Amino acid sequence: MSDARVERQQPANGAVLLVLVGLGIAFALLVALLAVAKTHSGPIYSEANMLYTALVLYTGAATLYMGYGVTGIERYVSGASLLTALGFLANTAAVAHRWSVAGRPPFSNMYEMLLSFVWTLALLTLIAERAYKVKIIGSITMPITVVSVILMQLLPSDVRPLVPALQSTWLQVHVTLAMLSYAACAVSFALAMMFLIQDNMKTESFQALTSAGMVAIYAAILVTRFRSGALGVTAYDLEAKSEVMVSRGHPLFIQIPELGWLYLLVLLSALVPLALFVAGKVKKDIAFFDLASKAMFVSILLQAVGLAIFVARVKNGQYGAPNADGLFTTALPANPFLLSGMVGGIVAGLLYLLLLWRREGLQRMMPPADVLDRVTYKIICIAFPLLTLMIAAGAYWANQAWGSYWSWDPKETWAAITWLVYAGYLHMRITRGWRGRRAAWFAILGFMVVIFTFFGVTYLLPGLHAYAAG
Amino acid sequence: MGLKSVWTKVYETLASVRTGIFLIIVVGLFSALGTVVLQRPTSEPEDMQRAYSPETLALLDRFGLTDIFHAWWFLLLLCLICVCLIVVSVDRWPNAWKVYAKPVRFAKTAFRLSLPQKVEIAVTDEAGALSVAEHVLDRFGFKVDRVTEDGASGLFAERQRFSVFALYLVHMSLLFIFAGYIIDGVVGYRGNINVAEGQALGQITLRDNRGGETKKMLPFLIRCDGAGEDTYADGSPKKWWSKLALIENGKEVASKTIVVNDPFVYKGIRIYQASMGQSGTPRTITFSATPAKAGVPEEVEVPLNGKALLSDGESLSVLRWIPDFYIQDNEIYKKSDDPENPAVQLGLTNAKGETKKLWILYSQMNSTKGQDAPYEFAIKSATWAKYTGLEVSHQPGQFGVWIGVVLMAFGLVIAFYTQHMRVWVAIAEDDKGGKLLWVGGTTNKNRDRFQTKFEQIKAALLEELGGAGVKSEQENDKTLTKA
Repeated sequence: MSDARVERQQPANGAVLLVLVGLGIAFALLVALLAVAKTHSGPIYSEANMLYTALVLYTGAATLYMGYGVTGIERYVSGASLLTALGFLANTAAVAHRWSVAGRPPFSNMYEMLLSFVWTLALLTLIAERAYKVKIIGSITMPITVVSVILMQLLPSDVRPLVPALQSTWLQVHVTLAMLSYAACAVSFALAMMFLIQDNMKTESFQALTSAGMVAIYAAILVTRFRSGALGVTAYDLEAKSEVMVSRGHPLFIQIPELGWLYLLVLLSALVPLALFVAGKVKKDIAFFDLASKAMFVSILLQAVGLAIFVARVKNGQYGAPNADGLFTTALPANPFLLSGMVGGIVAGLLYLLLLWRREGLQRMMPPADVLDRVTYKIICIAFPLLTLMIAAGAYWANQAWGSYWSWDPKETWAAITWLVYAGYLHMRITRGWRGRRAAWFAILGFMVVIFTFFGVTYLLPGLHAYAAG
Repeated sequence: MGLKSVWTKVYETLASVRTGIFLIIVVGLFSALGTVVLQRPTSEPEDMQRAYSPETLALLDRFGLTDIFHAWWFLLLLCLICVCLIVVSVDRWPNAWKVYAKPVRFAKTAFRLSLPQKVEIAVTDEAGALSVAEHVLDRFGFKVDRVTEDGASGLFAERQRFSVFALYLVHMSLLFIFAGYIIDGVVGYRGNINVAEGQALGQITLRDNRGGETKKMLPFLIRCDGAGEDTYADGSPKKWWSKLALIENGKEVASKTIVVNDPFVYKGIRIYQASMGQSGTPRTITFSATPAKAGVPEEVEVPLNGKALLSDGESLSVLRWIPDFYIQDNEIYKKSDDPENPAVQLGLTNAKGETKKLWILYSQMNSTKGQDAPYEFAIKSATWAKYTGLEVSHQPGQFGVWIGVVLMAFGLVIAFYTQHMRVWVAIAEDDKGGKLLWVGGTTNKNRDRFQTKFEQIKAALLEELGGAGVKSEQENDKTLTKA
């Protein structure tokens, strides 16, 4: 208890920076929210209103959880958990409403998947807090729910009938298993990261890891979307609520001028801390690491600005395409890859800052290293069978729908690679006794492959060749 | 190096986990490469030519990198994994079988020292203490046996012994899956066929990995008795269906209405609803009939395989339909299946049963003018028969795959959620000759769970025995934090 008291009296390091970053992020989120605010008509208990209620409650909860993460003040948690529980009720009502209207479980499009994902995440947070007393988890999961609900406001939410190929119980099973197994992989990733923190991996190493992640995100964006200073986005017909297609499977890319340069700048800003880290390692000079932290802070701010400008330009304006006449509109839902990449980069940066300033407090709040190591393994023991069954259900569905259970398409192949990585982890752990850091890195690698399977395969691989094909 | 040592070396290499991991990495890397480099079976040839320069493409083709998943060396890698799985299973089998079939049932002094979990409780009544221990272990879900060796008696208790086979189940399931996949690669086929309403066809088109096509006759004909598309209120497709009948040796042997996700299975051949469209074969053709002398012109709709009556009682039928014709040496031939330029032979039958044959050659003159008949006919319009696009596949190996999947599910559940716990009980003596109830145990995985269980057993024993002196040795404290 005396620890907690000391904790409370400790002034937050880098408070000014924290406030500045907080304001920057708040501004970006506000712009996003204002840009998407819908007028909610209809009955007060409509799904949109229930979701909006959940959003407000989750935002409150996320703020309190993050407040706890930063200050370590315990009494924030009870308020946060109450808000989460209330938001969860509203969220449940929204899920139930959709299920009853559609007459099937809500998994069939991006909106419905996010609806279910947010529900699951809130539930897991409550369970982790009540049953396992892991209070810190809410400061990671609740911001993710808030971002997800905001994203949902952008997506077409009408109940769409299912086209024939999707009318399959096996597809529902496949998607449910995919969400569960990927959620388990995400949790194992978070635990492995927490292990590295508890295992006293140096803060500058986390800084290098975070900026490497950011560099990867912006490099991926630029490789697929940069063209002579402009940024390619998918055209979206606002009235038909659908993407504009050039031909089957090939959406029309329109170009927002100058935005490409801005993102090149963001990429450079993310490269600077990485370069400084390498310089610090080579010259064995700690001064470089301090500089790197400052550069990191600048990069995060720049990313927030980049996101705000992106949202603003996507919402207002029409842009031309090199291979089509006329001007086209676009919309955020048509660009989930760009949006989630940018939001992901900012969230990763914020988590790093949290670590930078509150490492001691965080380490006190987290379970000990050996427990984290063991729980990571146990979670992967849950994720792996789910992953196996997910692939099997997908194969069975493919066999029912078009007569081939395995055709080596990129999504299938990467699902198999994910499976192989986790199989490798289990072999190393069980037969060669890999524990601790090596196992943690393996778990992190596994989740990277999951992310690539989920986003990279859909948006990155075709992008590679789309530009080659010109 | 002798032949025997070479053999031993190969065997050891194949049996090592290191080799397995190496193969997993290699297969993973090549699979990833196969999603980055455009693959011939899934890309248009033009796209590939645009994406790579001719030299690069030639090089990629040469090394099989444009069709990795069907390359012989990729299949060889998969087969090597199979061989490894078999060798590993054979190699580890004796040990697992020993644990399963011939377990150490009596804990001798030396054996006792090797156990990670153990406790000694001072007792006075040996036989009574053993019964108490038997009772307690039984309550904790163990199968308890009384054992004796050299006159000393003790207990052997275990639970979930089958857990030692989980590894074999998982590895065997992979073999089933690979075997099924290979069988399908060798004897399986997949092709497509378009059948118009009313037609019965049996020849499917197979596509090979190079984009070429070959034909194959099915052992039966597929007749389409109807096909259609149901739509939602907003016009998006709700359901595609085809009413199919299979004809074998001239007899209808089976029929079913198939929809997407619900194929027709007959003798291992599966027929899927893939697409739908309009065929070049008309269902009915409407002709204008203008009397040659006097009279009122009329229109008459003739079904392709039927006839229609004109107002004066003569009947009109379509004898031949050629969707796109050309003439060579005074004979009419079919040029294509597209109804671009049809030729129609009409039969006009009068009350006496005499039939007059007339031709309409659309591109020359859409009329029967000049052919001696009481009417002049011309094509006005046509309604078209639908065709159903079917995917036909024969994959006899898929049952191996599904068996493998089910086995793997069981195997993984056993591997991760069961554990073989063993507990031995014996009577020992302390330095002063006092009697001790010695209890020790071990497990094959998940040690912390076993430790918890062991602590509970210990607590229960102490409570029931009212143990005075407890000597607990837990060497495992250190190993556990590592675990």
